[in-house]
Amino acid sequence: MKQLFMGLLLFFISMAVQAEINIFACEPEWEALSQELGGDKVTTYSATTGLQDPHYIQARPSLIAKSRRADLLVCTGAELETGWLPLLQRKSGNRAIQNGAPGAFMATDYVQLTGIPSQLDRSQGHIHAAGNPHIQTSPIMLLTVAKALSERLQQLDQNNQAYYQQRWTDFEQRWQAATLRWQQQAESLKGLPIVIQHNNWDYLIDWLGLEKVATLEAKPGVPPTVNDLNNIVKQLKLTPAKVVIHAAYQSPRASRWLTEKTGIAKVALPFTIGGNTSSTDLFKLFDNTIELLLDKSK
Amino acid sequence: MNSKTPLAAMISFALFSTVPVYADDLSDLKAEIMQMRDNYEQRIAQLEQRIQQTETNTQQVQQQVAQVKSAPAPTSIQSNNRFNPAISAVLNGQFSDYSNDPDDYEISGFSLGEEAGLAREGFSLGESEIILSANIDQLLYGQATIALHDHEGETELEVEEAFIETLGLSNGMTLRAGRFFSPIGYLNEKHLHAWNFADAPLIYRGLFGNQLSTDGLKLSYVLPTEQYIEIGGTVGNGDQHPGSGEHNGVGDWLAFAKTGGDIGTNHNWQLGLSHWQASPDDRKYSGGHAHGGGEAESVAFNGDTDITNLSFVYKWAPQGNFKQQNFTLVSEYFYLHDDGKLSHENELATYDGKQYGGFVEGIYQFSPQWKTGLRYDWLGSKHRASDGELLEDADLDASGFHPQRYSMVLDWLPSEFSRVRAQINHDRSSRDDDTQLMLQYTISIGAHGAHSF
Repeated sequence: MKQLFMGLLLFFISMAVQAEINIFACEPEWEALSQELGGDKVTTYSATTGLQDPHYIQARPSLIAKSRRADLLVCTGAELETGWLPLLQRKSGNRAIQNGAPGAFMATDYVQLTGIPSQLDRSQGHIHAAGNPHIQTSPIMLLTVAKALSERLQQLDQNNQAYYQQRWTDFEQRWQAATLRWQQQAESLKGLPIVIQHNNWDYLIDWLGLEKVATLEAKPGVPPTVNDLNNIVKQLKLTPAKVVIHAAYQSPRASRWLTEKTGIAKVALPFTIGGNTSSTDLFKLFDNTIELLLDKSK
Repeated sequence: MNSKTPLAAMISFALFSTVPVYADDLSDLKAEIMQMRDNYEQRIAQLEQRIQQTETNTQQVQQQVAQVKSAPAPTSIQSNNRFNPAISAVLNGQFSDYSNDPDDYEISGFSLGEEAGLAREGFSLGESEIILSANIDQLLYGQATIALHDHEGETELEVEEAFIETLGLSNGMTLRAGRFFSPIGYLNEKHLHAWNFADAPLIYRGLFGNQLSTDGLKLSYVLPTEQYIEIGGTVGNGDQHPGSGEHNGVGDWLAFAKTGGDIGTNHNWQLGLSHWQASPDDRKYSGGHAHGGGEAESVAFNGDTDITNLSFVYKWAPQGNFKQQNFTLVSEYFYLHDDGKLSHENELATYDGKQYGGFVEGIYQFSPQWKTGLRYDWLGSKHRASDGELLEDADLDASGFHPQRYSMVLDWLPSEFSRVRAQINHDRSSRDDDTQLMLQYTISIGAHGAHSF
């Protein structure tokens, strides 16, 4: 009994000594960004992987345990996690991560979203009232979020403010240089006509100046019917596209069907960290995305 | 640029002054130093170029970043309805067909409450629910579920849930007060419409008349461990079946523990254990036979009742991506023990009863819009009374029969807000085998609620 008590005591002491900020990221891109900005002053965990649809995550037991111990939530917001995050916040019994607390960071609070539906009607599919939340497909958006996140880290852990500031400056420089490199590499992609499977590439399209010709899902979140797909085939005869894009976590069926029917190239982009084996960090994610697009657009 | 010459001079000075110098070595050294100087100049020029480039690059990206508008400031419109709670409604309708008369439905060894029977044959409107929820203030969250259902030609309004709950009380603690679904079993905490089958497992029907709710308090604590462990308890007024009667203090209490986790990314599981106790005061049994005409008086139970539950949930999805494909296995076991007295009119008997049973259900979602599942229910009971006649009067005379049921379900999910379901049961709740067919739609409109594991 005494041993058990001592063990528990030691356990709690060791927890108190551990001064790092415990970060619960909802998606892998935010985990990677937290890691870039927090370095060894933070420990990070991602609730989802690059092969999971972030709209449909189970508020499973392990996530309750993780969120209970978190000091900071880093999530997308804009209703992307509405099916599971509110539940975790409530079940965790953790004051630090409740909405409005400094420990709840929502990336979409810091950028202006596009694609805000003019009409909120579920007959139009699974729409996001706050706008398109998939901001991590643009490095420009990502940098804006990074600045806000670094400020949040500095606010939460004032003892290490200088450290976070230095990491932010370093990241900003590397990211800006990389962004420029990607833009130069992707120069030839400007105006590339593409078909997308789901409306989650808006910010990438905007950044690279791609030309969206059609969307396979006639209504977001609803699998396209044969009729929808046939309409797209017809449309592509008038305005041909070069490549059809889907995210790694999505079923390739509809894209494959279109490829077989029309012969246009098909590419599964990583969408986030871990979407494929090459996308192991934020820099490689965009390296790989550009590389795949360039490869398929030839 | 000028600063390099003194630097080179200093280096040469340092070299010349410390090293004994010979004539031919000197020229070698000079050449070497000249080379070094060239190298430096080259490198510095490169660096300057790079800095310049980075500066212009940075400016470009900074311009782009500046173009990203920050989120618009909230527009302040003076209107009170902006603080409306999240409202959603769940509607459902059903068509049922049974081979036996549903009015004769019974479960051997169990006494059914009024709502525990089968839905009426033919078309019927199921339970319609209205759910309101919102954060009340910085401390509290509130939720109410109002259910409407028809009962013998009248529409009844029922407060299924109405509770307040702390928002991040501290250190993993959560306190809840009001009426809520008791954390006695895995399915019990879920709303009827979130169940995988159109009807309740037999053990839920037999013990609780479908679902057990508690009016009282619930305290839960999530341990600060890597592994999910939650412990907690509830206290209630003890009037919900199988509790009964008015109690001034704590009428029932429950303690529970849950744990769970992931195995890789594909598998998740949860295990739960709970124990509930109450002291029912005149719990009536639905059975009851009139003795020599007149109004039948029900048999009543007074004594102590406890229930123990063990539940297990396992979920699988390839890569943990539930949208495309997933499999869920749920199994629960309940054991109820009654110890007390049965009374009927003027007769009194000591009674010791055990009712137990469980179910296993497996649901396979094979595409985003389709899922199918199988369920098996089994029950058993043992009743001992000092007067066997009272057992008969209470309809508890099971005499060794074990009710069983097999169910099969097929769901079509046009979206996450609608579902069309077909279910077929082979029900042996009593000695008369019954085949039950149910066609059902369930939809949810309004706010998008989160679903627990």
